[in-house]
Amino acid sequence: MLELQRVSKHYSGIPAVDDVSFCARPGEVTGYLGPNGSGKSTTMKMITGLIEMTSGRILFDGKPINADLIGYKRRMGYVPEEPHLYIHLTGVEYLTMVAQLRGLPARQSAERIDGMLRLLSLYDDRHASISGYSKGMRQKVLIAAALLHNPDLVLLDEPFSGLDVASALVLRSLIQQLATRGKTVLFSSHELDTVERISNRVVILHHGHVVADDSIERLRSLMELSSLEAIFSQLAVEQDSTAMASSIADLIDA
Amino acid sequence: MLKLIAALLTRIEARLPLQFRVLHRQFLLRVIDLEALSIEADIPRFLGQFVGVLLMFSFIHTFAVYVAMVEVRHGLERYLISTMMLVAGLITVVSWDSIFPDKRDAMVLGPLPVRPRMILSAKVCASASLLGIALLALNTAPGFMTGLMLGQLHASFFGFFQVLAAYWTAMIGATLFLYCAVLTLQGVCALVLPRRLFLRVSAALQLGCFGLFIAVYFLEPSINTVPQLTSPENHALLAASPQYWFVGVFEQINGALPRELSWLAERAWIGLAIVIFGAAASLLLCYMRTMKKTVEAPDLVPGAGGLHWTPRLGGLRTAVAMFSLRSLMRSRQHRVAFAFFMAIVASIGVTCLRREIFSPGPEPIPSDFLISTLMMMSLSVLGLRAVFALPISLNANWVLRTTQLRTTGKYIAATRTTLLFGSVAPMLAVAALLALNYRSWLQVAGHLVMLALFGVLFVELALIQFDKVPFTCSYLPGKANVQIIFWGAVFVWIILGVLAGTYEFSALHSASKFAVMSGVLLAMICGVGTYNRMHARSAVLYFEEVEPAFVTKLGLMYIPPARASELSAK
Repeated sequence: MLELQRVSKHYSGIPAVDDVSFCARPGEVTGYLGPNGSGKSTTMKMITGLIEMTSGRILFDGKPINADLIGYKRRMGYVPEEPHLYIHLTGVEYLTMVAQLRGLPARQSAERIDGMLRLLSLYDDRHASISGYSKGMRQKVLIAAALLHNPDLVLLDEPFSGLDVASALVLRSLIQQLATRGKTVLFSSHELDTVERISNRVVILHHGHVVADDSIERLRSLMELSSLEAIFSQLAVEQDSTAMASSIADLIDA
Repeated sequence: MLKLIAALLTRIEARLPLQFRVLHRQFLLRVIDLEALSIEADIPRFLGQFVGVLLMFSFIHTFAVYVAMVEVRHGLERYLISTMMLVAGLITVVSWDSIFPDKRDAMVLGPLPVRPRMILSAKVCASASLLGIALLALNTAPGFMTGLMLGQLHASFFGFFQVLAAYWTAMIGATLFLYCAVLTLQGVCALVLPRRLFLRVSAALQLGCFGLFIAVYFLEPSINTVPQLTSPENHALLAASPQYWFVGVFEQINGALPRELSWLAERAWIGLAIVIFGAAASLLLCYMRTMKKTVEAPDLVPGAGGLHWTPRLGGLRTAVAMFSLRSLMRSRQHRVAFAFFMAIVASIGVTCLRREIFSPGPEPIPSDFLISTLMMMSLSVLGLRAVFALPISLNANWVLRTTQLRTTGKYIAATRTTLLFGSVAPMLAVAALLALNYRSWLQVAGHLVMLALFGVLFVELALIQFDKVPFTCSYLPGKANVQIIFWGAVFVWIILGVLAGTYEFSALHSASKFAVMSGVLLAMICGVGTYNRMHARSAVLYFEEVEPAFVTKLGLMYIPPARASELSAK
């Protein structure tokens, strides 16, 4: 189980994430939602160990992740928000490098890479440079790299970004399958419809604070609202979107 | 004075169209890969470092002009012109892609209401600005000194100005010639070849030009006197050497060109006219045709077929070695930086080879061969270590950080393996090939053993405090003091190299000296290697160069209120 206890991150004294606590359980998909700038990616980066938290604790299976960061990284797979890759490498070279860095046996990693590339429809372009890949193809490389070592904890930051409809459907099922097989899945997304379909519970972040942490059904009944979009709008959207759109149109008309 | 120039430049800039100003600034900054720099880095400091290196050479040149201009006038003129052409060549190679429209320009500027000619002129001016800075930094002091030294040979005071005009015309002409010649070559290739093929040929051309500039600079013989210049046996060399053409221009404007050498100046003027026209025409055509072609070119280029073999060095070692090798082979900037060192290595190697080719048969191993191969080995390790410090894609480093499952020591060991396989092993092979003509075989084998020991020692020295994966740490200009490194190289590296080579020469003839030398080298390897391994135990891999934290004490202290009122009463 992944557990965040009163986690905060301040930049020059300004809180980006403030006193955040929640749990993501094995066998469940936890959706992590919030408007732009609410601190979702910062939280994700703290969970991966890429940035240090200012205060609080992050536990995985009851142990602080910093107590054995290397052991923790062995069990964690991460898809970042932006498709940052070494674009001078080819798809297969990149995945091989990640497998080698993770210490996977050569034969096993070759089989997995081959399989992943075929299943993700990247096989024909495996020897082409990533610099030429489309955004969706890059996203698939990131997903393959995150899952190669069969991690226990899967962290997905906007994993649907750039994917076509067919690939998005595959990923949606894959996330559910991973959870069914006992993995802890935490994913953030702006696609509320997808989150609503596949998440067992959601955590909603606003201005760095957790404003909701429960199953979608309970949130619906508690707030007497019909959809996650309505819940999200009430908890995390401050402005009237129609009025905002009119203001923009008026501004460029003026 | 500087304020006046700055104010003048600001006034001129203010009169230029806004689009031009914006684009010029962007293109000027893009000559440097901003993404490779540390977040702590500032561009003026980086440019300052560049100018600092040139000024350093400029002072050496000024001294050389003061000491030797009158005695070896033509040789020194050729050397100054040659150095300026080399610097211009290096700038051209480093900013190879910056003058032609790339995909980013086409995609970003294409939809905007900006005319291609505006983009072209901004790009040309950005490159010209950089060349202009280099020209001024390298030539202001030597030019003035040349005016003083050669001006005194003229009958009147105006001789000083005549020499000054000759100097600057020759330098500007030589710089323009080289720059435009490269542009013409690139432009013709871009026009004639399909875009995909052009991109591949262009990379090879860039390296070819770079090697040519360095090789010509180091290998071209110097001709110092008028009789040598007019000698028929040197005619072919002079006819093929633009450096000497511009010596002709210099002397022509200075009024001291012998009639039988006037063809040199003529050749320079004709050559300059041809390349300026060629560059202008090919650039214009490129901008009219290539922008569209660039956008239309497919993003996904099929991968090269053939061998996809990787060595089995162990997971992490293979990952680091292959990542380093691929980064070096595929990144243009890194290739160019490495080629700088390799071109010097190649020049030394060619010198050795030339001697071997002209030797009548097998001969005893000479001491200068030992020194040369030692220099080649050190430069090879230094070159690879230097490019390792230049990052390739900082924002992709997250993958190395999230997959860092082993200790820092393992990563440093992987880097050690990469350095050994990437620089020491190839250089040993080259040295073995170059030594084929030398005897006895035992001495050749002894030298190769010594060279291998030196190689391993250089690798260990290169790894001191290098707690990072090659190509992954940001670059902080000014962290390494280039001036100190330069002088260190000149005074310590060369002297030590000569001493080591000379001692090795005697060691190859004496078993006891050989044992002592190899023992000392082994001890040094063990010492530095142990230090590196001990250091690695507590080291943390880092991906970002940061300035050391400076704490400035203000000398403030707490004074109790009673004491404060007492002091103020006084």
